[in-house]
Amino acid sequence: MMFDDLRIRLRALLKRDAVEHDLDDELHFHLERQVEKLKTTGLSDAEARRRAQLMFGGTDSIKDACRDARGVTLLDHTIQDLRHATRVLWASPGFTIVALLSLALGIGATTAVFTILDAVMLRPLAVSRPDELVVIRALYRNERFVLFNPVYEALRDRQRPLTGMAAMSDAPFLPVSLRRSEAPIYVQGSFVSGGYFGVLGIRPAIGRALSVTDDTPGAPCAAIISHRLWTREFNQSPSVAGQAITAAGTPCAIVGVAPLRFRGHQGGYDVDVWLPLRPFHVDMLDNHQLAFFSGVIGRLPPRVSRADAESQLTALYQSIVAAEPLSAFREGGPRPATADFGIRLLPGAQGLGALRETFDQSMVIVFGVVVAFLLIAAVNVGNLLLARGAARTTELATRAALGAGRGRLLRLLATEGIVLGIAGAALGAMLAWFLTPLLARAVTMQWFTVTLDTSVRPASLMVVAGIVFAVVAVISIVPAWRLSRVELHPSLTGAGRTVGGGQRLARQLIVAQLALSVLLVTVAGLFLRTVASLNAVDPGFEPNHVVMFEVHRETTAPAGTPSEDRQKLVALYRALTERLAGVPGVRAVGLSWLGLFGGSDLWLPVLRPERPEDKHDARIDLVSAPYFRSVGMRLVRGRLFTDGDDDTAPRVAIVNEAFARQRFAGDDALGRVVRPDYARDPQPPYTIVGIVRDSKYNDVRETKTEPMIWVPLAQWPLEIRAITLSTRPGAEAAVAREAAAVVKSVDPTVMIRRSLTLREQVDQTVSREQLLLRLAAGASLLALFLAAVGLYGMLSYSVTRRTHELGLRMALGASQRTVVRMVIRDALLLVIVGTLLGVPLALAGGYSARAFLFGIAPNDSATLILACTSLVLVGLAAAFVPARRASRIEPMIALRYD
Amino acid sequence: MSEEKVELPQGTLDLLILRTLALEPQHGWAIAERLLQISSDVLRVQQGSLYPALHRLERRGWIRARWGTSDNNRRAKFYELTAAGRKQLEVGTRSWRRLVGAVGQVLDAG
Repeated sequence: MMFDDLRIRLRALLKRDAVEHDLDDELHFHLERQVEKLKTTGLSDAEARRRAQLMFGGTDSIKDACRDARGVTLLDHTIQDLRHATRVLWASPGFTIVALLSLALGIGATTAVFTILDAVMLRPLAVSRPDELVVIRALYRNERFVLFNPVYEALRDRQRPLTGMAAMSDAPFLPVSLRRSEAPIYVQGSFVSGGYFGVLGIRPAIGRALSVTDDTPGAPCAAIISHRLWTREFNQSPSVAGQAITAAGTPCAIVGVAPLRFRGHQGGYDVDVWLPLRPFHVDMLDNHQLAFFSGVIGRLPPRVSRADAESQLTALYQSIVAAEPLSAFREGGPRPATADFGIRLLPGAQGLGALRETFDQSMVIVFGVVVAFLLIAAVNVGNLLLARGAARTTELATRAALGAGRGRLLRLLATEGIVLGIAGAALGAMLAWFLTPLLARAVTMQWFTVTLDTSVRPASLMVVAGIVFAVVAVISIVPAWRLSRVELHPSLTGAGRTVGGGQRLARQLIVAQLALSVLLVTVAGLFLRTVASLNAVDPGFEPNHVVMFEVHRETTAPAGTPSEDRQKLVALYRALTERLAGVPGVRAVGLSWLGLFGGSDLWLPVLRPERPEDKHDARIDLVSAPYFRSVGMRLVRGRLFTDGDDDTAPRVAIVNEAFARQRFAGDDALGRVVRPDYARDPQPPYTIVGIVRDSKYNDVRETKTEPMIWVPLAQWPLEIRAITLSTRPGAEAAVAREAAAVVKSVDPTVMIRRSLTLREQVDQTVSREQLLLRLAAGASLLALFLAAVGLYGMLSYSVTRRTHELGLRMALGASQRTVVRMVIRDALLLVIVGTLLGVPLALAGGYSARAFLFGIAPNDSATLILACTSLVLVGLAAAFVPARRASRIEPMIALRYD
Repeated sequence: MSEEKVELPQGTLDLLILRTLALEPQHGWAIAERLLQISSDVLRVQQGSLYPALHRLERRGWIRARWGTSDNNRRAKFYELTAAGRKQLEVGTRSWRRLVGAVGQVLDAG
């Protein structure tokens, strides 16, 4: 029976003409027989025919009923509506293009932003039951603290609430040779404890996972590689297990390949090689003062509540801390109260949240901006449809008179909106395809290269589909419903002269659009000022035209005596400095232990032998003599380092103004003696010979410069991490290339991890603000454009509709100027109301974005005034053409046309 | 002959059509005429109800249609009962008789 049903429906659909023809024939046959029957009772042919027709009734309604019975009415009507809608849209290309573009932009931008937001904030790790994962964070006085390895191990061994714990140490620059003979390449790696794969519930695609046995010092080194690396370097060969590689200078063997979807435990940080933690950090295992974990995770079984687990773990942590030796805490300071320590369990479904924590606020703002824009776009299209529909009341009335029910009319009007919505969504999807990688590029972290997983997943697809559905509903149903309620009868007698209900809704929508535009323009203005302020900050050094190499020396050579090692390093540094100074375009060569804006924050106690109780901490760096020149730091008093400050000369140091202020307030710091207190490498006293100007260290937003001391590398040689080369303007790229070659030729074990300019390094710290600015600026410009178009459309139709009235006024003596003024007043009224409503919105928006503002208050009046003014100008521009049209109305023609 | 219009409840027409077709395949007009005859002119089926009903029955798979030649040599669409239709006729007739019987009992009771 179902089969017959389907068959008949399909035939009705596909062979519509044949079916209609059949029905015609059938009814005609019936009519003829009826006529014949009547003729047998004696009627004439004409009379019989007349009677038969009367009895028959309206053929058309019979046909309709049959069609209904065939079950294709709905589909028939829908196809009709679609064809009609397409025709109508095709006939007015200007409107259609604007509508499609605004929808495509709105939906595309929203989809792209949501994809990025999902990848950064919502997407769970590709592990089993990610909701059970927790991130274990140590607290001291409710501030984020660190877990040292001995404490972690004690916690792991003695805790009960979690089913497992694992610690990780990420290594963004892990040197690995995948084939023994090859030179090492840098991959993103991670050292993980034995329980890692078990806690996450990962089953390898090939081979086995790392276990506790591998995580023992002295065990043969086992490595897991990522699926991506396996594909790229080994062509997915199944015999990769057992492959001998070298990782971090140690011979290892690949024992397994991670599954395809699993990319690591940190959002955005794709791990290519996993190695066991303990064998590579043997000297840190018992260290109670240096932490090397990127994070600690655990699995909380569903039967245990998070609060319970937290309190149990806190109690355990506190008892472990109580048993710690005094040497674990700050030397000389009072023993901290155990009650100040605690454990907090954070949701770990997305793993460690460094990326999320950095970007979550800005992502939400970006999403808000884009949604506001989408609303504007959707409202715009709905409004335009509404306005156009109002001009079609005659057509609608005719259709109603011909028998179309209200539901039918509703469907007809809604179809236009649906066609637009679906076409706009399709275009928007294509736009999102292009936009998503561009946006992803703006999400960067200082410590590692971010790779976002932007592949489609069902949950995010549903959200996007929901958005599209909502948009389509708004632009199709609302105008349709509005219009179908308008009284259709009066309009048949002439062009409607009064302002209908649809008009009022349209005006309200325009006002809402304008208000949202004020919000967007203000926010964009605030971000513009923020970025300008950030760029205008004097960092205290010269970031322009400085090439920076982030370097690392991979040494496998056995160390000689400490003195020999020191001599070798000093010689290396001298050679590097000389050879690099010879590169054309280089003005000064600086070597440094830590470098600027590198994200490091190392402090040491610096003692004053003459005042033993003064033992403040200070930042420290070890630099070569020309360093200050290479980064353009300015000397205030005294002198900079020279080549004469070497191992044989008296120990000297340079401090910044903050240091001098803090330690020697008022008195002269020059000539004073201080001693950095580093237990692993005890230092003699250093004499301060120079004071440099305060400067920013890691972020241009720093308001307070911390005290800092510099010591010559020649007198305290440690492995450098940064080489800074100040260059001639424009020569940065050439210098970078040549200098890299020079470094390699001087010492091939010095590997360059990153090569960039100091300017780029500084700019990375404001990458979020740049992202926000670009998005807000783009969105606000487009929003203004759309608001202008919407306003123009509305005014235009208004003038068309009021042609009769305006003609009448002019005939009665109103001048052209008066009519123009009327139109402009109409526009200004809308703009002013919209602007007034938009101001509180803009204030709210500025307030919610205040964390990202710099150098400007969220309620900055200049920005607000500028935004409002720009809207007024836009309103006037939109009113220009309609006003001109109004002024050109010829009263005679207007009054005649009815 | 009274012109009192008898209201045919929905579904009853379907049953009558099935019954009419039980004997032999017929076209739409013949069905209408037959119903008129057998019911002594009481059941006058309008074309507006007949043809939609025929199409509905066809969709349900209880009758099937084919084009043929009528007795006056014209091309006409003939309907005939299917096996499922025959079954439906049995079921429908049974429940109709039960309904009539029950209603009659109620009306006849005091």
